[in-house]
Amino acid sequence: MPGGMQLKTEVLATSACALCGACLDWCPYLKNIEDHLVLRFDCPVEHGRCYSVCPRTLTDWQAVNGRYMAGVPFDPDIGSFQAVYRVRRLQPINDQQDGGTVSTLLQTALAGKMVDGVLVTGSGDPLTPQPYLAHHEEEIRKAAGSRFLASPSLRKIIEAREKGIEKLAVVGRPCQVQALRKMDYNKPSDSPALDVLSIGLFCMWSLAWPFKDYLARTYPGLTFLRMAIPQHGVEVTTDEGIKQLSLETVQAYIRPGCRFCLDMTSELADISVGAFEPEAGWNTVIVRTERGRELLDKASAGDVLQIEEYPADELERLRRASHNKKVRGLKNIKQAVDEQKITPFVDLSSSPYQEIIAESSAKEGY
Amino acid sequence: MEWMVTAKEPGKTFLMQGNEAIVRGALEAGIRFAAAYPGSPSSEILTMLGHVAEEMDLHAEWSTNENCAFQACMGASMGKIRSLCVVKQNGLLTMGDALHTAALSGCWGGVVLLVADDPNAHSSTNEFDSRHQARAAGIPLLEPATFQEAKDMIVYAFELSEKLQQVVMVRSVTRICHGRGNVTLGELPSQPSQPKPIGEWDKLIAINWFHDLLWAKLDQAQAAFEDSSFNWYTGPEQPELLIITSGTGWLYSVEAVDTLKLDDRVGILKLGTTWPLPERLLLKYLEKSPRVLVVEEVDPFLEHNVASIIGHNPGLNIQLYGRHKKSALPQSFELNPDVVINALASVMNVTYQAPQTGEVPAEAVVTIPNRDLTFCAGCPHRASFFLLKQTLRIHEGNGVVMGDIGCYTMGGNRAGHFLLQSIGCMGAGINMGEGLGQLSRFGFGQPVVALAGDSTFFHSCLPGLVNARYHDSNMLFVILDNSATAMTGFQPHPGIPVNCMGKPANAVSIEKVVEGIGCPVAVADPYDIEATTQLVYDLIKKPGMKVLILRQPCATLAVRSKGRRKVWVDPELCRGDECGCGRFCSKTWGCPGNIWNYQTGKAQIDEVVCIGCGVCASLCPAGAIKVEGGQA
Repeated sequence: MPGGMQLKTEVLATSACALCGACLDWCPYLKNIEDHLVLRFDCPVEHGRCYSVCPRTLTDWQAVNGRYMAGVPFDPDIGSFQAVYRVRRLQPINDQQDGGTVSTLLQTALAGKMVDGVLVTGSGDPLTPQPYLAHHEEEIRKAAGSRFLASPSLRKIIEAREKGIEKLAVVGRPCQVQALRKMDYNKPSDSPALDVLSIGLFCMWSLAWPFKDYLARTYPGLTFLRMAIPQHGVEVTTDEGIKQLSLETVQAYIRPGCRFCLDMTSELADISVGAFEPEAGWNTVIVRTERGRELLDKASAGDVLQIEEYPADELERLRRASHNKKVRGLKNIKQAVDEQKITPFVDLSSSPYQEIIAESSAKEGY
Repeated sequence: MEWMVTAKEPGKTFLMQGNEAIVRGALEAGIRFAAAYPGSPSSEILTMLGHVAEEMDLHAEWSTNENCAFQACMGASMGKIRSLCVVKQNGLLTMGDALHTAALSGCWGGVVLLVADDPNAHSSTNEFDSRHQARAAGIPLLEPATFQEAKDMIVYAFELSEKLQQVVMVRSVTRICHGRGNVTLGELPSQPSQPKPIGEWDKLIAINWFHDLLWAKLDQAQAAFEDSSFNWYTGPEQPELLIITSGTGWLYSVEAVDTLKLDDRVGILKLGTTWPLPERLLLKYLEKSPRVLVVEEVDPFLEHNVASIIGHNPGLNIQLYGRHKKSALPQSFELNPDVVINALASVMNVTYQAPQTGEVPAEAVVTIPNRDLTFCAGCPHRASFFLLKQTLRIHEGNGVVMGDIGCYTMGGNRAGHFLLQSIGCMGAGINMGEGLGQLSRFGFGQPVVALAGDSTFFHSCLPGLVNARYHDSNMLFVILDNSATAMTGFQPHPGIPVNCMGKPANAVSIEKVVEGIGCPVAVADPYDIEATTQLVYDLIKKPGMKVLILRQPCATLAVRSKGRRKVWVDPELCRGDECGCGRFCSKTWGCPGNIWNYQTGKAQIDEVVCIGCGVCASLCPAGAIKVEGGQA
C-alpha cells in the first residue's frame, strides 16, 4: 500500500479529496485548516495508513460491502438495507434539522451503553462545522442541525483512541462512512481496536468554506442561525428573517471532490438518516446492519421516536435521486480520469459502473 | 580580555586578537566616542569598547544602523573629540551617502572608519571589497598586514584625520580581526580630551565647492604616505619579479617566496597605505622590475591602481600579474598561502610539489556527514519557519516569502524548509514585499510575506514599513522578534532596555512603532505552533498591509536566564520509523535536540543541547515526548 506522497499526488493535489479527515488521524505530516487539507511536509513513510483509509484511493467497494453488509439484501441504488422508515421525534428539540432522529439515536446509543462516546460535528455557529467528541447526552444538543460546510471530522478518531474510547458512534457523510469502513478493512494488525457504530447522513454535496465569506459579504452584519435546502431552493435563516438563495448560487461553492461522489445515502453505514422530502419535520431512516436495527429498536422502545412505514412511491423517488447521483458522479469521474486529472478510486471497468456510465453518457451532469 | 586593551604597560608585548589590537589602538588614540552596528568580523570591537567605556570614560553605542553610527561620529567630531566608527563591508554600503558627503565636508575631531571585510563571505552574504568606497569617496585608506599594525594604524589614522580634517578609513579583514598575534602596547593618554565649543560660524557642510579641497587633502595624504613606515620593501636590489601586496596578502607572499626559495629573485613591496598610493615609492621599485605580481584581498583594487600608475608613466614596460582576469590568482574568494605559492611558482616558472601528508591509516578516517547551517536547539525561528511554511502550504496559492539578514537567513536552508524566495541586503525583504504586494491589483493572487528580525527591523525596515503602509501593499510583514541581535553575538538594539555599556536604555516598543505608523499589528508566540498557524492563516487572507510580531527570546539567551526543563522520549509511545511518525521530530522538525537512537530505533533527546522549549512535544503525534512540568 502506498503512503503519504502518493496520497498527495493522487488525492490532495488533485480535486478528488472528499475532506473526510480519516488521513489526518494519526499523521503528523497531514494538516488542515478549514477545508484546506495538505501534506504539510514530505512524508518518508513508504506504506501509509492515510492511503489505505482514503475513500478516494482505489478500493474494491464490492468486497468492502460484502464484508460489512453480509447477508443484507443489496439494492443497486441505495445500497444494502433491511428496511426504510419515516421517523420523527415525538417531542422536537431545539435546532433539529428535520425529525431530530440523529440526536435521538446518539442519545440512545450513549444511554444504552452501546457506545462510550460519539463523534459529531457542531459548534455554536450553525455554519461552521467543528468536530468534537461527546460523552454525555447533553453534549449532543449543540451538534443538532445540519452543517453544509465540509469538515474533516474523522481527524478526531485518534483523540477517541487516546481517551480510551473502545466503542464509538460516528455521525458522518457518506465519504466518511466509507473511510470508517476502510479504516477497519485495511487495519494494520498492530492497530488498536476501535469499534465504530456508524450513523450515515444523506448527502448531495458539501460546500467549500468560501461560502461563509460569500454570505458575510452578501448579508453584512447579519447573524446566521440556520441553513436548509427545501425543495424550492436554499434558505438561510438570519436574525433578520429568512434569506432565499438560488440553488445555482450555492452550487457554485460545491467542493470539487463532491462531484465524484457515488453515494447519496451512506450505503456502508449501520444506519442512514436523511430528510423526508414530502413532509417537513420527518426523517428518512435506512436500517442496514443488525447494529443499526438494534439502535433504532432501542430508540423506539422509549417512546421518543415515532416510526412509520415508508411510502412505496417515496422509496422509488429516493432510489431515483440516489441513482442520479451515481450517474452524475461516474460521468464526472470518467471525464476527470480521461483528462488525467484524477486517479480512479473505483474500478470503472466493473459491470455495474459500466452500465451507469453508458446511461450517463446520454444525460447532462451538473 | 578587556584587561589587555586597557593595560597601562607601554612597551609590553601581548598576544592579542586583531579586534583587540584595534580597540587598543583606539584607546591609545584617546577616542571618547565609538559607534557601530554589529557585523562579523568586526562585532567584538564595539562590545569591548562598551565594556571598558566606564573605565576609559568614553561613550560607546550600538547604533540603530551604520548610517546612524557614522553620522553620530561626525557629530561628535564637531565637538573636536576623536570618534571611531566600526562597520563591516555591507554596513559601509548602508552608510554610502553619509561617507561621500562627509568626505566633502571633512571633519574636525579625528574620525576613523574601521571597516572589517569578509573575504570568502564566511559570515556574510558577499565579499564586497570596501577599498573601492575609500577611493570613490576620496578619503585616505590604510590596510594593516599584522596585528601590531592593526593597533598602530588606528593611532596613526587619527593623527592623519586631524591633520587633514578628513575621515580616514582603516580596512581590516576576517583573518586580521579574528587572528591573533604579538602586539607591543603604546601609551594610553593620561587625560581624556575635552569637547571644545563650536563657534557661530563654524560649519561642517557638504557642498560640491569643496571637491577640489577633497583632492588637495588626498595629495597631502599621498605626500605623507611616501615616507610611511607602514610601507616597506624586502628583497634583491634588482628583482626578477616584484610582488606588490597589502593586508593579509603580505604574509602569504612572504611564505610563498620562502617556500619556493626565491628570496634572491623576488622582491616584496608591502604597502599599508593603499589610497592614495605613494606613487614615488612605487615608481622607485617599478623601475627596477620588468614583472609585477599583485597579491591582495579581494578585488584587483591595488592591481588596477598600480596599472594606472604604469599607464601614466610611458617609460615603464611591465608585465602585470594578479587577480585581474585571473592572470595569476583567482578573481573571487579568499586567498591562502597555497594559492599564492602556486601562483608565484607559475609566474616564476618553477615547479612546486606540495608536501606529502602521507597515508592516513584506515582507522583514522572518520566519515563526517555534510552538515547544514541550521538553527540552534530550541530556536524560535525554527518554530516560526515551520508554522509559516505549513500555513502557506495549507493556504491556497503558494505564498511568496521575502527573506532578510539575520539568523533567520538560514531559514532559506533545510532548517527553514527552504521557505525564503529572496535574500538581499538588510531591509530588502519588506521593500521587495511592498513591490510584489502591489501586483495584486493586476491579478497577482499569491500571498506575499516579508520577514525581518527585531534588530533588522530597527536597522532598515522603518522606511519600508512606512512605504508599505502608505501605499497599502497587499502583504504580511512578519517580525521575528527574538529580543537580540543574535547572529552577531547578542548585541543590544533599540528594543533592549540595557545598552552596550550595561546602562539602562529607553527600549523602543516594536508594536507601538508599528501601530504609530498605522498598521494593524498582532503579536504571537511562535512556540504555540497550532494557534499561531491559525493566526497567520487568517492574516494572509485579509487584504492590505498587516504586521505580525512573532515573539520569543533567543533560546540560547533564554536558557542562560531561565534554565532548562528536562525533555525526554517515552520509547513505549514513540512510533519511530512507523507510519504516523517516520522520525517526524528528528527529520522534519529537525531540532538538533531531537536525535535518533539507531540501537533502539526510537527518538531520543540530546540532553546536552536541548534547552527544554517543549515545542517538539507539542508536535509529536504519539505524545511520546515528555516535558518536565508538562508542556509549554
